Formats: sequence, structure tokens, C-alpha cells
Amino acid sequence: MTPDVMSAAALVDRRRGWRIERRADPSAVGWLVALLLAALGAFILSGLLLATAGASPLDAFSNLAKGGFGSGRALANTAVKATPLIFTGLATALAFRARLWNIGAEGQVFAGAIAAYACTHALDAAPALLQMPLILVAAMIGGALFGGLAGVLKTHFKVDEVISTVMLNYIIAFGLSMLLLKGPWSEAGGFFEQTAKVAVNAELPILIDKTRLHLGFVIALVTAGLMQVVLAHTPFGYEVRAAGSNLRALAFQGTNTTRLVLLVMATSGALAALAGVSEVYGVHHRLHAAAIVGYGYTGIVIAILGRLQPLGVVAAAILFGGLVNGSTLMQIKTGVPSTLIYAIQAIILICYLVAWAAASFRIRRPGRTTPSGEIGRAGHG
Amino acid sequence: MVEDLFQATIVISVLAATIRIATPILLTALGETVAQRSGVYNMGLEGTMLMGAFAAFIGTYQTGSQGAGVLAGAAMGALMSTIFAFMVITLRIEQIVTGLALNLLGAGLSTFWLRTAFAEQSVTPTIAFMGAAPIPYLEGIPWLGPILFRQGLLTYLAFLAVPLVWFFLFRTRFGLELRCIGENPKALDTKGLSVQGRRYAAVIFGGAMAGLGGAFLTVGSSARFVPDMTAGRGWLALVIVIAGVWRPGYVLTAALFFSFLDALQLQIQGIGINLPHQILLALPYIVAILSLALMRQNAKAPAMLGTPYIRDR
Repeated sequence: MTPDVMSAAALVDRRRGWRIERRADPSAVGWLVALLLAALGAFILSGLLLATAGASPLDAFSNLAKGGFGSGRALANTAVKATPLIFTGLATALAFRARLWNIGAEGQVFAGAIAAYACTHALDAAPALLQMPLILVAAMIGGALFGGLAGVLKTHFKVDEVISTVMLNYIIAFGLSMLLLKGPWSEAGGFFEQTAKVAVNAELPILIDKTRLHLGFVIALVTAGLMQVVLAHTPFGYEVRAAGSNLRALAFQGTNTTRLVLLVMATSGALAALAGVSEVYGVHHRLHAAAIVGYGYTGIVIAILGRLQPLGVVAAAILFGGLVNGSTLMQIKTGVPSTLIYAIQAIILICYLVAWAAASFRIRRPGRTTPSGEIGRAGHG
Repeated sequence: MVEDLFQATIVISVLAATIRIATPILLTALGETVAQRSGVYNMGLEGTMLMGAFAAFIGTYQTGSQGAGVLAGAAMGALMSTIFAFMVITLRIEQIVTGLALNLLGAGLSTFWLRTAFAEQSVTPTIAFMGAAPIPYLEGIPWLGPILFRQGLLTYLAFLAVPLVWFFLFRTRFGLELRCIGENPKALDTKGLSVQGRRYAAVIFGGAMAGLGGAFLTVGSSARFVPDMTAGRGWLALVIVIAGVWRPGYVLTAALFFSFLDALQLQIQGIGINLPHQILLALPYIVAILSLALMRQNAKAPAMLGTPYIRDR
């Protein structure tokens, strides 16, 4: 563009007056306002949804809150529900940080549970100190391989990771069904698609009596802490963050981006796999699809609400764990089906996305000078 | 047993089933082809189809009219994609994330409303679904008649939509403008034509088609609505758009290929060949990955696919 055309364009803009433009990222205040607006919006929309079902929103919400956070025991069980969501949330957050759209946490949870069960179900009487590490390592390897498979499909076969991970989610669910329905792992004499109970020594120990709070929650918190440190203070963490902003620049700088993509996908898969461990060995004590289904998809919501930050993921997972936990009391007391929370989760996500986007717009008044960014760009053009 | 598969009646029934099964994914994939040609990647198809299926079911149940049900399905699809369009076109939210949010919304709302709408009944109610509408004279043609011309109305509509969408995209002015937006939106903007408006139109059309695809699953072919009954068809439609290189003719070929696999799998289960049925069920998804891996032709995607248009850049 010649300078004359540039200034002409600027004139046209100025005459148009007020303009709305979007910043790269909202300010901290904007983010807080966005969160509050999202909460308010989600509250109102969910209330309307309850009204369509002929239920009293206030009644339902108060029971939801009471069931989720109302007592020490409720809190402990909320932590149990939050545990797998922390793992899948961290898995998704890591991949999304590198702008790898891993939708496959769902399948990677399955892969982890299958691998852990495959390696340890024969070790009935072995001491817990032997079984526990074996279960964790086997699950992480299983999840890493399954996540890595989507990585290889991307790096070597140019298959978009969104599509491949979703397809793999369906494939492995059928795979598990094959192992469990009249398959090699079916419970002897059982009708259901499930394995027999795992050995007592393989169960994750309960931390507080009379609750279901198990060791998995502590592992989840430690994992989140570790990930925070790794992202902020290691070369790998730097590369993940850099890949998120500009993968090509990272390649020019000399990083092997193929290796990085594979590493991120494998690590993400390994993190998701731990959700399989927490549910199979911490809660259900047997392997069946109902124990592990759905956490991967909810993990995506958790990761986004947590701003792709490990500690944010923990906070969002506890909130959602409370919703899941409270929904049982809500169903008993008010008759509103507990499936409501899946709709609420989606509504929260949409409200958050909209509020976040709205907070990143700003209105520029007419007559002001152009911001420095645009002058810079004009100079280069 | 394998030779059973080659008997004439069986071949005809497999091919007729192929055409029938192709209907929902073909409708959805054609709509998505138009949306993606304009540069918008709607990954919320699974949720959009599901809501379309649900609305079509409820619409038919309430009014007793299958036509009203089908319209309700299409309208619901359009509504879902209007939400999507507002989020990604106006607010420029990440398209992948928004699509996933839409899927969760569709799954959550349809399940919740199903539970609350029929809370008193112990079994979910059923509707009378559309039967076959044989085309006079043509249905009598040997082989072709029973395969092509004894289908339901929505199936005819889906196959008719292939040349229509092709004509629209490649032979009309609006179609040219739409494809231009997917490649070089600035060119259209400088002519004073609205990029955003055309993208809205393309995405909402895509949503209505996905809603129709969903409607086929209930009113078109089954008496009840089951939570998550789309079972990955929305995602398969996305695969088909890519495998069909964003051209209606190839999209049709890809849709027929996948539905043939599905039809074959039903037939194999039917005659009792001893193979774990889960392998057959997983087959379309395995083939989807393999076909994308073998093709490696993302270069043909619209250049601006997934990128919001910002005037000042």
C-alpha cells in the first residue's frame, strides 16, 4: 500500500467514528468480569432450563450446592468426583497449550485402564507396594501409546488430530467391549459387561474413614503441582508454550517440532490414563465402561474453564465434581434428573466462552490516535 | 456362509441399506461442505444432529405430523448453528472449542429434556416413523428399483441435494462468492459485500441440513429417541467432507463408501458369520482414519478454513 492509500483508509475509519476491536487477550479485570458474567449467565440459563422442566430453580440449586459442598462428607466425595476430571483436565490443558487439539482424553482414559488391568489382573496376592507402582506405570504407558498414536498420525500421515482422536475414542470403546462382553476378561458367570473385582491389594487406599476419598486425589494434586513447575521452569514447558504461540518460529529456532508434537501427545495421553486408574482402582474396583466413560469430554471443559493452567484445572474440576456429587441429592429431593448437570456444564462453558470473548473487545472512541501496534504494522507494510 | 453374501436378494438388500444408511451423513456432510467452503469449520455437527433428531421426535409426537417433525428438526439444527455462528463469526471464539461446546450442549439438553418430558411414563413413548415411499414405475426396474426407488422421502431429498448443492456452489453467483470467502475474504469485502453475512448464511444452512440428518434418525427411520443416538455420525460427516475434498460429487462417493461398510456389517451380523460384532462396529472409524492417512490432501482445503475474518488485517 502506498502512504496515500493508507491515510485515505485511516480517514475513512475516523469518519466512521466509534469502533469495536478485539484485543489479543482480555485484561485481568476483564477476565474477572467475564467470570462473574459467565457465572450469572449460566445461573440464569440453567434456571430457565429447570423451569422448562417444571421444577423450582432455587430448590434445585440449593440442593445441588448442599449435596456438593454442604458438609465435610460431601466435600470428600466431591474430591472423589473431581479426581478423574483433574487428570483429564490436565491432559487436555497440556495439549491445548501447545495448540494440539487432543479430543482423545476420553479414549486415553480407556487405554490407561485397559493397560493397567492387562498388566496386573494376574497379580492377585502380590503386595500393594508392588502392585500400585505397576498399575500407575502400566496405565501411563498405555495412555502415552494411545495418545502417541494420534501424534504419529498427525506428524507422519497428516491426519488432523481432532478427527483422529475422536475416531480413536470410538474404536477403543468397542475394543473394551470386546474384551468384556463374553471376552477374555468377563467376570466368570456374570451377565454384565465387566471384569471381576480387582484384588484388595490393588485398590487405592481410602484416606478418610467413612468417605470414599482415596489416594488418587492426592496423586492428582501432586500431578497438577508438578505440571505447573514443568510448564513454568523447564525447557519442555517453554517449548510447549512456544509451540502454542508459533510452531513455525519454534522450528526455525532449531526445535524438532515433530518430536515435540509426539512428546506432548504422549504425555497428554499418560495424564489422561491416570483418570482410568483413579476410577477403576479407587472407586469402582472393577473395569467396566460405566466406570470410565465421559471424563475425557468433561476434561475439555475443565481445561478451558481453568484457562489451561494446572491450578485453574484443579479449581474447575472441584467445582464440576461438586455439581456431579450434588446432582444425586438434587434428584432425590426435587425429582430433577441428575442428567441436568451435563446440560449445565455445557451452558457454563458457552457462557464462559462468550463472556471471555466479550471482555476482550474494547471500544475505541473517534478522533483518538492510532494505537502503536497499528503504526508499527503500517510502517512495515 | 460367505457365499450367502453373493445371492441376488442379499446383494440388493445390502445396497438398498447402503442408500438408506447414507441419508443422515450425506445430508449433514453436504451442509458442512457449504459451511467449510465459506471458511467455517463446524465441529458441532454431532450435537446439532442430536438436537435435530430430538426436535423431530418431539415435533412429531406433539403434532402427530411427520412433516412438522422434519421441519422442527431442520429448524433446531438452524438454531444450534446460529448460536455457533454468533460465537465464531461475530465473537471470533476458537471454532474447535465452540464446536465441542455445541456437542456437549446437544447431548446434555436432549437427554435432560427427554427425561423431563416423559417423566411420568415408565417407557419412552414412540412415534410412527416415515415408511418407504416407492416411486411409481421406477420401483419396478429390476435391481435399481428395489435399491434406489423404494426409499423414504428424506433419502430422495438427500440424493437430490447433491446436484443442487453442486449447482449452487459452482454455477451460481452466490456460490462463487461463498467459495471466494473461503479462499480470500478480503477480495469480497473490498467489493462492499458482507463476508460475515454470507458466512452466517452458509453455517445456518449447514446446521439446518445437519438437523434434517438428525430428523432422519428419528422420524425418518425409528420410532423413538435414544440419548446419543447419533453415535458418531456427525463426526463421520466431517471425515466425509474431508475425504470428499469439499466437492459434492466426491462427498456422495465417500458417504456411500462408509454407509456400504455399515450395511455390510449389518448383513454379516445377520447371517451369523462368527466375528466379534465390535470389530464390525468399529470398522467405519478405523477406515476413516486409514482413508485420511492415505489421502494426505489437506492442501485442497479452503485456505481460510477455521480462520475468522478481521477487516483490518
